Amino acid sequence: MSDVPKTMAASAQTLALPGNTGAKQEDWELVRLCQSGTAAAFEELVRRHQQRVFALVGGILRRSQDVEDVAQQVFLKAYLGIRRFDQRAAFSTWLYKIAVNECWDYLRKRKVRPLVYEADLSEEQVSQLDGIVSAHRPPESPSQRAEARQAIERILDTLPEQDRQLLLLKEMEGFSVQELAEMLDLNVNTVKVRLFRARGRIMQAFRRRVKPGGKTGARPATPTERKR
Amino acid sequence: MRQHPDFRSAACAQFEALLEDYVAADLGGARAKSVTEHLAGCAGCREALDEAAAGARLLRAVGPADGPGPAFNRTVMARIYAAEQERTAERATFWQPFVSLGWRFAATAMLALAILITYEAGWGRRLQPNLAVVRPSNVSDLFSPDPERAPANRDEVLMMLAENNHGNN
Ligand SMILES: [Zn+2]
Repeated sequence: MSDVPKTMAASAQTLALPGNTGAKQEDWELVRLCQSGTAAAFEELVRRHQQRVFALVGGILRRSQDVEDVAQQVFLKAYLGIRRFDQRAAFSTWLYKIAVNECWDYLRKRKVRPLVYEADLSEEQVSQLDGIVSAHRPPESPSQRAEARQAIERILDTLPEQDRQLLLLKEMEGFSVQELAEMLDLNVNTVKVRLFRARGRIMQAFRRRVKPGGKTGARPATPTERKR
Repeated sequence: MRQHPDFRSAACAQFEALLEDYVAADLGGARAKSVTEHLAGCAGCREALDEAAAGARLLRAVGPADGPGPAFNRTVMARIYAAEQERTAERATFWQPFVSLGWRFAATAMLALAILITYEAGWGRRLQPNLAVVRPSNVSDLFSPDPERAPANRDEVLMMLAENNHGNN
């Protein structure tokens, strides 16, 4: 990256963006600066939104190796199209829509559905998740959290694609109902109803993993990449 | 097997969006009251609400996934810079034939201009006195050019041709 010119590589703070009075600039101000050719303003927008774009892309593509590449592509597309962005919607809404479209393009080009785990959970995972649901005992250490997350994602994978995306983005990644409705082109009430039903479904899927008598259907996890 | 929440009564359907707000603790006032009243008389919705709340607990326990690496934004900016370079190069390739054609045209025009100036400055001036000598200001001579003399200009050529033709007829 050493060949990146200073005007682009330097951070927005050190560049003292035009119109910056010390207070944190709003997204729309940064967008306007980008539109007048200040690339450093775009770098600040990347810094602000990278976490959520990454979460969104990761949520749709699941744990694909290409999440980082697709997330970068989202920002590249946003940069190339920012002069045409009229700011009638929030920058984040516009950006998330680009991200959703980019994910769908990616899946269509690859002609595959994202990784689908057909395996059940281990007994340890079931008891950990049961602790969360029944005993209100959330995982404490980062490693426990990572393991619980892996198990939950595996249950999510058994749900219809839209239920899975809505639950993951809303409950795990913290997107609002409004944001989900805008980025997926759905009515707000539709999103609420789907979320409510999907929550019930994930509990049903979880209970199916726990067989009568407390035994679990533990099998080795083998992800499969299905052709559409 | 528990009853699927989708199969509750039709009256319950209008409460689903409100129940979602209830789970998200995003409901107040009259709407909260109407939900509470419905829940008091509907076991199906109570069960669906418990399931949804358990599902929310399960999902919220683990928090968001890891974000991108620390070099993410610099990599993005490097890709943007590379794309800009590519765009500039593409634009240059598109106009290249027109630009080189323009230069060729300009060079030809300059060459023609140089020849003209040289002619005006040198040859032209050298020929001019000669013309004055061989063409005295005698009007009749103009109509009877010396046959030994080469024509000095286009008009003389035409005159000679006309004369010859006239003579032949
Ligand atoms: Zn009901």
